[in-house]
Amino acid sequence: MKIPDYYVADIPRRKFLELGLKGGLALAATPLLMDTLLASASPGLLAAPPLALDKLMLNRVIRKALERGGDFADVYVENRISRNILLEEGRFKSAEFGISQGAGVRVILGDKTGYAYTDDVNETTLARAADVAAYIARGGKAVKPVDIKEATRPSFVTVKLPLADLADEKRLGVMKRAHQAALDYDPRIRMASISYYDEVRGRVIANSEGLYLADELPLLFFIVQALSEGNSTRHMGRERLSRHSGFEMFDEVPPEQVAKTCAREAIAMLDAKDCPAGKMDVVMQNGWGGVLVHEAIGHPLEADNIARQIGAFTGRLNQKVASPIFTMVDDGTIPNARGTVNFDDEGTPARRNVLIKEGVLLKYMTDILSAKQLTMERTGNGRRESFRFLPIPRMTNTFIEKGKDKPEAILASTKSGIYVQSLSGGSVNPTTGVFNFTCREAYLVENGRKTTPLKGATLVGNCLDIIQNTDAVADDLDFGPGICGKGQNAEVTCGQPTLRIRGINVGGTRARATT
Amino acid sequence: MDYKALAEQLVKSCTKTGADGAEVYLETGRRLSIDVRNGEIETVEESASQGAGFRVFVKGRMAFSSCNDLRDASLESAIGRAIEFAKSTTADPNNVLPDERAITAVEGLYDPAIAKATMEQKIELAKAVEKLAMKDPRITKSAGSGYGEGEREIFIANSNGLSKSYKASACSLGVSLVCEKGEQKTSGGESCSRRFFADLKAPSEIAARAIERATELLDPRMVKTQRASVIFGPEVGASILGGILAAINGETVLQGASFLGSKLNQKIASDLVTLVDDPTRAKGPGSKPFDGEGVPTQKRVLVDKGVLKGFLYNTIAAKRAGVKSTGNASRGGFTSLPGIGPHNFFMVAGAIAPAEIIKATKVGLLLKGVTGYGINAVNGNYSGGAEGLWIENGQVAFPVKGLTIAGTAAEMLNGVDMVGNDLDLNRATATPIFRIAVMQIGGE
Repeated sequence: MKIPDYYVADIPRRKFLELGLKGGLALAATPLLMDTLLASASPGLLAAPPLALDKLMLNRVIRKALERGGDFADVYVENRISRNILLEEGRFKSAEFGISQGAGVRVILGDKTGYAYTDDVNETTLARAADVAAYIARGGKAVKPVDIKEATRPSFVTVKLPLADLADEKRLGVMKRAHQAALDYDPRIRMASISYYDEVRGRVIANSEGLYLADELPLLFFIVQALSEGNSTRHMGRERLSRHSGFEMFDEVPPEQVAKTCAREAIAMLDAKDCPAGKMDVVMQNGWGGVLVHEAIGHPLEADNIARQIGAFTGRLNQKVASPIFTMVDDGTIPNARGTVNFDDEGTPARRNVLIKEGVLLKYMTDILSAKQLTMERTGNGRRESFRFLPIPRMTNTFIEKGKDKPEAILASTKSGIYVQSLSGGSVNPTTGVFNFTCREAYLVENGRKTTPLKGATLVGNCLDIIQNTDAVADDLDFGPGICGKGQNAEVTCGQPTLRIRGINVGGTRARATT
Repeated sequence: MDYKALAEQLVKSCTKTGADGAEVYLETGRRLSIDVRNGEIETVEESASQGAGFRVFVKGRMAFSSCNDLRDASLESAIGRAIEFAKSTTADPNNVLPDERAITAVEGLYDPAIAKATMEQKIELAKAVEKLAMKDPRITKSAGSGYGEGEREIFIANSNGLSKSYKASACSLGVSLVCEKGEQKTSGGESCSRRFFADLKAPSEIAARAIERATELLDPRMVKTQRASVIFGPEVGASILGGILAAINGETVLQGASFLGSKLNQKIASDLVTLVDDPTRAKGPGSKPFDGEGVPTQKRVLVDKGVLKGFLYNTIAAKRAGVKSTGNASRGGFTSLPGIGPHNFFMVAGAIAPAEIIKATKVGLLLKGVTGYGINAVNGNYSGGAEGLWIENGQVAFPVKGLTIAGTAAEMLNGVDMVGNDLDLNRATATPIFRIAVMQIGGE
């Protein structure tokens, strides 16, 4: 929707390093930075309790932001410590350590938003940012800000082995284990690539409604890729594991398991044949396949485009939009899940939001601005990649609720079509609802059985068709981790049980034999 | 602040702290973006930022750290982190830094006029383009218009005595529109991005193009699944270059993960296909005097009349391959290590007018939009969503949507049988219109 970012075009990004690009920095995790932050905020007052000092300063910044007018103002301070390690071709090729900090000030007046951010966090720079953000509110009516008071929110993220205390050898250890397991899986695995990323993101949110919140979220992201070669072709398999969690994630899901899943895909797809083209029934395996509804239904249910009255679901609230077996939920409270937020980046508590219940559209996902524009409640979906971005409505953990069918029965009752075991990802036009997906691993379905693996399969269609044509939903709900891009990145999970959609347009290289 | 001196001094700090070799990449920048919708400002965002990235080498091991706090104590802490992290990586004799002092002369990278234009002027531009676009009765809603600008200055210094800097700017203006007709909804937009403020297209020109895009696929029809010609318009041609770029990435080739890895000096495409990377072009959106680690940039012909002539390398991948860096170290800012990428990568224009290509097509698809990941660099498979205009007997017959196209890179590249003369080099990755003789199209 938005005009392409003018900075991105001349900065080609390397795939593995994308993760390290998040701007941002850390408060509690880096004592040095916290100290200098506070020292510059108010020299000579270092003896005061850090948070109390912060609050007085933040109050002044919020007042400054609303000086020229405005309905709402907030300050978002962030710090982030990240580590990104790459093991490829048997060697630890690179290790990147990132320290990023900054703060943004936002002013809202009516439908207008002003925003400015700074890497350098002190009262002078924040006051300047407040002044720039206030540009849009010149001459508008002003609300009187409420003095901020610390609030608490429940946490859905538990940590047994904190990342900050972890020796680097532990990180290297899980990578080596995954690397070996991938190569050991089959002699046709020619190369494995293990990408390890972790971060601790500290957030402070303060706004003119008197809210003050601070917390710290750890994040782990582990990606295994395996390159297979045989039958005069190659395939790059991929498997990802990610949670807001301490390092105990690898006790719960061993790195070998991630590697084997990846290597299995790489080997299976060596036998892939040309995919037929045309309309066919699609059975989607449980898990990351949920990215299809994330794109096709989730994005169109984000309230920013609804408030602009251009979204595909504009004006459809309380109407039947899907088949009665279709229930879709966005839930930012699933313990330790990659999309879990505790509270969103505007301070609204995370919660379970049933978006579509038994086919009826109940709710859009809002941030503070779109909730106000639509006079709806705040759903806890106001998220931002870092202090360099404005919060916008985003998904968290989004999934299709489980149904009653058995996955085997769904496959067995499908005469012909394709079985999608995993998807790479895809995109949707939020205005028209037109989506597309690329399959990582797909099979032909013949007489209720998975048969030939298929290469180069793409699914295209319109979001409404998908949810209206879903005719079977199994009871095996599962999730997969992903990076969602909407002008800025957000960590999410997508989930679904095994399900069947009748009549999706599949793109392949082979014309279908007429039957 | 004298950032050049700071970068040089930080290199010394790295070597004093325990690095055998070091590189400092320092970047400062500012940006402004203005979004307008329905004649009113929707958002104004403004920022200034800066940061430093440290690449250190300790006994052949390489590690990196970055920090956006330029106070001495923070910078030193970041350097210490990088050196500490180097214990975790594997030593490699190919881990070297460049030492070439030369800088390629490139004109027109920075325009001081962008910063001099007033905020009001910029807001007016964004409002004007939307207002002009909304005059068309078929356009029912605006999805917003916008003006954006950015400037940055890059400083690279390393322990081989290299120290260089350059300054660059860019600005953009665009609008996004919605057209509703009965139950139908289509969207489309146009954006113009330039190095110089005065080079931005007139709002009327941008609005007219956006209207065309938002309305040209109204009343689409479905076609049968078939094999037919596919014409890639200049808006979508670049979508197939991505996979080729990934496949000529020197590191991917070294890893045996490229479908072009064994094809050097072989014919991989039709005679009509010549692909060039030219970072030296004046005002080019991807132009620069040196690459992401300070190596002077150069114009290179990568595919010459269908023959693959070379790969892209940064310093480390080049050493490993036993060649010289091609000046293709890419850099995603100060927060990460250099990768490998192109600068201004394009297919050289042919001699045929776009209208002639359509006229010469009996049955085919003129692509206006494609979706998907493009060509798979590992195995060359291609599959994607497609929409555009259906061509019958040399004429546009009707719009089509919800189609798929698929093939392999070999079939597609060798199948290019017409190349147009309408190359627009204001995009960093660009092609003129071109036709692929036959591809699999998925429909009904």
